[in-house]
Amino acid sequence: MASEDDILSAPVPDPDAEPTAAERAHARAFAELLDKTMAGGALPPAMSADDRALLEMATVIRSSTGGLELSPSKLHSIVEQGLRQATDLGATPITGARRKRLLPWVVASASTLVAVAALLLLWLRTPTRPARTDVASVPTSWKSRSADALIGRIPRSAAGDASARIDHIFADRLEGFRDRRMSATGKRGGKP
Amino acid sequence: MRSRLENHGASVALLVLVLVSGIALGSCELQDHNKPSATELAEPGAVIDQELMASLAQAKNFHHKAKVYMSDGNIPAAIASVRQILSLRFPTGAPEADDVRQDARALLAKLLVSQGEVDEAMKTVDEGLASAARESFFVANLYTVQGEIHEARAAQLDADKAKAADERRAAIASYDRSIQINEALQKRLMEAR
Repeated sequence: MASEDDILSAPVPDPDAEPTAAERAHARAFAELLDKTMAGGALPPAMSADDRALLEMATVIRSSTGGLELSPSKLHSIVEQGLRQATDLGATPITGARRKRLLPWVVASASTLVAVAALLLLWLRTPTRPARTDVASVPTSWKSRSADALIGRIPRSAAGDASARIDHIFADRLEGFRDRRMSATGKRGGKP
Repeated sequence: MRSRLENHGASVALLVLVLVSGIALGSCELQDHNKPSATELAEPGAVIDQELMASLAQAKNFHHKAKVYMSDGNIPAAIASVRQILSLRFPTGAPEADDVRQDARALLAKLLVSQGEVDEAMKTVDEGLASAARESFFVANLYTVQGEIHEARAAQLDADKAKAADERRAAIASYDRSIQINEALQKRLMEAR
């Protein structure tokens, strides 16, 4: 016969056997305790470990079905307890989870540091720009310039003859452009 | 709550990573000096390049188009074609750009006068003279056209003798300015030879 304190550790009774008076009394007492707890009443100062375990289990079951809104502190304590038990059973320790949480920050910080270092390097280094085309050293015909010398004074009779003048300018500049492009020394002035 | 914070932290970390990578890549891009900067100004006197040739070719084509329209007597279409030359993009600082635009303005003004749009013609010339970066034979030509416009105005004002006289005087002033620029430039060119 199981005593009041070792009901959970005692051997499982025959399911067809009639409950004993002690079992009935214990069940009644536990039901009252459960009702009292669910109603928001305080737990009795002293109670057996089995009753406490059963009571907490009943609370969790009721909470998970939406029948009971747990206070944040209560919820926190239940989760903490569960995690602690899981850790004891070989689950991922809390420090490992924390490390996992910190991983993105570590990666981001490292990348930021590398990027800042690269930017500083770029900023501090004097850029070595490629030498611009040395315009002074190339023939005049290769240069972009005023068309005055080519066109000369425009007589009044030819004031509106812009079409002939643009032909002349274009032909002249094309010659210079081709000359520069085809010339072996044209590389000095850069590819057009 | 804590889970939300963790998710938020991870998102922020990811965002920082992406931003930093972007900045780093952008910096690498700056290092690529072979690519010309879009904002880099072309120095006057730079060598003739493909961009300049393309702009000159475009101007040439628009002039030819205008010439065909003129030969067909379609002056409004010719005017539209010449106007397109004014909106062509040339390499920054290319002296040819000024010359080509001033010459286009001279032709445009003459076409507008032929259509009786004397005020519009004068506006075209004035804008050209105001934007002239230097004196050139093309600017001198523009003054010549300005003189012609003043003459056209004087002809329209025959009834108002005083105003017509003013326009004729203005025409003479424009021709004088044209002659002055031409002489100075010719002298400079002779000295350069």
